[in-house]
Amino acid sequence: MIPFDFEYYRPESVTEAVKTYEILATQDKKVLFYSGGTEFITFSRLNQLDAEAIIDLKGIPDCHQLELQGEHLVIGAAVSLNKITESQLFPLLGQTVRKVADHTSRNKITIGGNILSRFIYREGVLPLLLTEAKVKLAGSSGERVVPLKVVFDKQMNISPEQFLIHIQVPKAFLNLPFVSIKKTRMSKVGYPIVSIAALVKDKKIRAALSGVCEYPFRSPDIEAALNDTSLSKEEKIDKALGQLPEAIIDDLQASRDYREFLLKNTLLETIEALEATQT
Amino acid sequence: MLENPWLSIGKPEQRIDAVEKAAGTVRYTADYSVPGLLHAKLATSTQAHAKIKAIDVSEAWKVPGVRAIVTGKMFPYHIGPILADRPPLAFEKVRYYGEPLAIVVADQEYMAKQAAQLIHVKYEPLPVVNSAREAFQTDAPLIHENSGKYMKIISNVYPVQGTNIGSHIKIRKGDFITAWENCDIKIKQTFSFNLSDHAALEPRCTRVEINPAGKVVVHSTTQSPFTIKKVLNQFFNIDVGNIIVHVPLIGGAFGGKGTVQLEPLAYLASKAVGGRMVKLEFTREEDLITAPGHIGLEATIALGANKAGKLMAGQYTYLIDSGAYTDQAAGITRAMALDCTGPYDIPNVWCDSYCMYTNHPYATSFRGYAHPELTFAVERTMDKLAHKLKLDPVELRKINAIKPGNSSPTSAVLNANNLGDVEKCIDQAKKLIDWDQGERLETADGKVKAKGISTFWKTSTTATNAQSGAVLKFEADGSVNLNCAAIELGQGSKTILAQMVAERLKMDIKKVHVTMEVNTQSDPHQWRTVASSTTFLAGRAVMNACDDAISQLKRTASIALQCSMEDLEVGGGRVYLKPSPEYGVKIQDIALGYKYPNGHAVEGQVVGHGRYIQRHLTPMDKDTGFGKPGPWWSVGTQAVEVEWDPADCSYKILKAVTVLDGGKIINPMTATQQMRGGMYLGLSFASQEGFIFDQNGTVLNPQLRTYQMVRFGEQPAEYIVDFIETPAADGPFGARGIGEYGVIGMAGALANALSTAAQVELNHLPLLPELIWKTRKESQA
Repeated sequence: MIPFDFEYYRPESVTEAVKTYEILATQDKKVLFYSGGTEFITFSRLNQLDAEAIIDLKGIPDCHQLELQGEHLVIGAAVSLNKITESQLFPLLGQTVRKVADHTSRNKITIGGNILSRFIYREGVLPLLLTEAKVKLAGSSGERVVPLKVVFDKQMNISPEQFLIHIQVPKAFLNLPFVSIKKTRMSKVGYPIVSIAALVKDKKIRAALSGVCEYPFRSPDIEAALNDTSLSKEEKIDKALGQLPEAIIDDLQASRDYREFLLKNTLLETIEALEATQT
Repeated sequence: MLENPWLSIGKPEQRIDAVEKAAGTVRYTADYSVPGLLHAKLATSTQAHAKIKAIDVSEAWKVPGVRAIVTGKMFPYHIGPILADRPPLAFEKVRYYGEPLAIVVADQEYMAKQAAQLIHVKYEPLPVVNSAREAFQTDAPLIHENSGKYMKIISNVYPVQGTNIGSHIKIRKGDFITAWENCDIKIKQTFSFNLSDHAALEPRCTRVEINPAGKVVVHSTTQSPFTIKKVLNQFFNIDVGNIIVHVPLIGGAFGGKGTVQLEPLAYLASKAVGGRMVKLEFTREEDLITAPGHIGLEATIALGANKAGKLMAGQYTYLIDSGAYTDQAAGITRAMALDCTGPYDIPNVWCDSYCMYTNHPYATSFRGYAHPELTFAVERTMDKLAHKLKLDPVELRKINAIKPGNSSPTSAVLNANNLGDVEKCIDQAKKLIDWDQGERLETADGKVKAKGISTFWKTSTTATNAQSGAVLKFEADGSVNLNCAAIELGQGSKTILAQMVAERLKMDIKKVHVTMEVNTQSDPHQWRTVASSTTFLAGRAVMNACDDAISQLKRTASIALQCSMEDLEVGGGRVYLKPSPEYGVKIQDIALGYKYPNGHAVEGQVVGHGRYIQRHLTPMDKDTGFGKPGPWWSVGTQAVEVEWDPADCSYKILKAVTVLDGGKIINPMTATQQMRGGMYLGLSFASQEGFIFDQNGTVLNPQLRTYQMVRFGEQPAEYIVDFIETPAADGPFGARGIGEYGVIGMAGALANALSTAAQVELNHLPLLPELIWKTRKESQA
C-alpha cells in the first residue's frame, strides 16, 4: 500500500499535461510524470519515492503511437513493452524489451518508463542508442525533437518539467541483422548481469551494454575494438574490455569477476552471431 | 459380497476445492473486512544485534487515526513453541534485522503505516553473529545471555547457558570410535547454505478481537489453530475455552504457517484498543524476513565403509542456523539427528546436531523438517564415497539401503509396515531417469547432460500424543458433512478425507461435503496440519467416525427393517440386508431418525465421531538419542537430469523424477501433484533461493525483486512421478504420509547432477551458475 496521499491527474493532450505541471509547480508541489506506474507503485509502497501529485501520461494519444510515419518508426512513450514486441516493427527492440521483468509486468511497463527508470538497467534504450533515434520532448518551452544522444548520457537528462512524448527510429535501422543477449544470475526473470543489443550497419558492429556498469552505454572505443579486422576474436574482446567507461559493477546479481567472465562470453557470442549473419 | 461401485480410494478424484479456486472466488483471511476493523502495522528493527536505548513514539502519535502504540515493554516476556526464548516485541535488545519492535493500531492501514515509519529507535550496536559457524566459536558474542533460564515447552530441548547453542541433540548408536578405526575407506565433507524463505503465495495475515464477554476470537492463516489456543493460554493467561480460532483456506504454507507469530501481536494490539478487532497483514517484505523462514545449515559428514562399499560408521555434525530464536528450529535440530543417516543401514552412528543462535531472521519448520537439508549433505557424501570406491552411485545406495529388521539411528526397530521399500524406489528411479544410458554425456553442441540421484526417508516427528478427530453429520437427503480440523493449504487433504468417507460408507463422493474452513469451537481437536501427518492421523479419525456412523445407521435400520444389526450392510446410500440386498432402507429415510408409519419416531440423527492418537511414540534419550520418534518412515528416490553449458556454467533442468513409497496412494492425481510441487520447491531452494547478508547481518534481498525463485516456465521440462505402494498395516487403507516428500531429495539430486556435469564438488547452495564457475576456477587453480 502507498502510505501517502497524492493528487492524480490524467491529461488528454500534451498541452494539458504541460499546463497541469505548471499549475502544480506554482503550488510548490512535488510532481511526477509517469506512464506505466510500476515503479511509482513499487517504490512508493517501500517509501523510496514520494510525490504530492502525479501526472499520468497514458491519457495522451500522442504517447500511444506505434507506427511508421514517413522515414521513421514512431514509438509513443506510453506504449507497453509487450505491444512493442508483438508489433514486430522493430525486432531488435522487441527482443530486448521482451527480456525485461515478466510478461504480466510488461503489460504495464512502458518504453518511456523503462528508459526513464530509476534502475540502472534501462535496457529499452540499448537498441535506440544504436539507431540514431530521436526523441520528442514536451515542456514549458513547447515541443522539440532532439537526437537521443543529446539528452541521453548514462540516463535521460531532462528536467522534471519535461516529459517524453515519443521516440523516432529511422526506418533504415529497423531490420538490420542484430543480436540481443541477456545473462542473468539464474532465472530469466531477473536483472541483467550483462545485457547486450548489437547490430551490423554498413558492415560495422554497433553494440550497447547494460548491467555491466552503473548505467547503459554505447561506446565508440568498444565498437572500434570489435570492428578491428587486424585482431582475432579474443583480441577484439580483450581490447574492448579495456575500453569500458568505468569499472565493472559488483552486486547481488554477480561478482565483478563473474560479470567480466560473462561479458567476455557475451561479446564472443555476439561477434559470432553477427558474423554468421554476414555470410 | 457385492462389488463396491463407489470405490474412491486409488481413484484420481477431482479436488473438492478445485472449482472455487479456479474461479478465483475463494476468500482468504486478508480478504475479509468488517465495520470498525482497525489496522495494525509493525515498526521493525533496522539492526541485526543492538541494545534498544530508547523508542520514541511521540511523532507517530501525531498521525491522525492512531489508536494505540504497543512496544515490547508492555509485554516483556518470552514465548516459543519448544523453548520460550522470543519476545513477541523486542525489549532490551534486538536480535535480527526486521524484528518487530512496536505495533501501531490505527483506523486505516495507511495511517498505521505512516505512524510506524515515525517511530524512532535509538540503538547501541552489538557485535553481530553472522553464521552458525561464527556462533559456535567459544568467544562468539552471546545473543541470549540467559538461555539456560528459558522455559522449556516440550522435552528434548537443551540450551547451553553461556553459549549460542539453543539446543544440542546427540545420537550415540553402536561403537562409532572402534568401527571408524576399522573402516577401509573414509571420507569427510562439509556442506552449507544460508537461510531462505517459504515464500508462500499468500502472505501471513491475522485478525484478533477480544469480545466484551472475554472471548478471544482469532481469524488466521495458520496450520496450527489449536497451537494458537495453547500459546494464548500459556503465555497470555486466557482460558483455552475462551479462545476461538477460525481458519479459512490457506494460500500455501510449506511449514511457514505452522508456528505462531502474528496472533500474539494482534492480540496485544486488540487489547490496547479495548478488544476491538485488529487486522495485522504482513507485506511480502515482512513475510520474507520479519516472519520466520527456512533454516541455514553447515553440515560435516564423515562416512566409513569396507572395501565392498558397506557403510560401517557415520559421523554427522549439524550446525543449524536457527537465526535469533529457536522456534521450530529446535525441533528440526532433533529431527536432523534422528534421521541423520538417510535411508541407510549404518550400525555405528555418532551425531551432534546443534541449534545455533545467530543474528539472522529466525527459522521455523520448512516442508521436510530437516530432511531436505540433511539429505543434501548425506547424498552428496554418498556420491563422493561412490567415486572413491569406484562404485556406481546407484549401486552404493542399494548395498546400503535400509531394510525391515534394521534399526534407525535412534534404535527404533524397522519392519515391513513402518518402512517403505528403499531398494524398489532406487530401481524404479534408476529406470525412469535412464541411468544406464550414462551419467554424463557431452552433446554435439558442446553442452553436457548429466544425471544425479538422491535417496531419502523421513519419519514424522509429531508430539507423542498428536491426534485428530472427525465428526460426520448427516443431512436429510442422506448426504454427509465431514468436520475435521485438518487445514486445507493446497495439499488436498480435504479431498483425501472425503475419499475415505466415500469409500468407507460406500457412497458417491459427491454426497460427501467437507467443511473447508476450520473453527476450533465446533471442530474436534487436531494437533496441527504439519509433518505429512494428516492422511494418517485425520484419516484414521475419519475411518473411526465412519465406523461409528455405520453402526448408528445399522441400528436405526435394524429397527426399520425389523432385523438384527449384524445382518445389515451400508452402501449405495442405503442400509440393506446382506443376504437380500434388494431389501433395505435409504439413508435419507433414517439419517434424522426413523419415523414409523404411525408417526412415532426413534433414534434421531446420525452423528458419527471418530478419533485417533499416536501410539507408542517416545521422546529421545538425552545422551544417546534412543527412542521411537515417529510412526513410520516413507522413503523415496529422486533423480534429476540437467543440461549444463560449460561456456557460461548456466544450466537447465531437463527432467526431475520422484519414486516414492508412501504406502497406499489414496489419490494418484493429487499425490502426483504433491510430488511435482515438492520437486519445484526443492529445485527452487537448491538452485537459487537464499538470503544474502552483509557484514552487519542486514538482509540485502528482502523482497522478491532480489530474492529470486524459479519462475513459471522454468520448471523442469519433464516431471516424472511414480509410486511404490508397500502398504502400512496401520495406515488408513494402508497409506503413510507423503505431503513433504517431493522436496526432500531435490537439492541432493541437483547438486549431484551438476557436480557430475561440471566435474567439481558442489557442496554449497544455492547452485548458481556463478558458484559452479567459481568452484571450477578454484579447482583448476
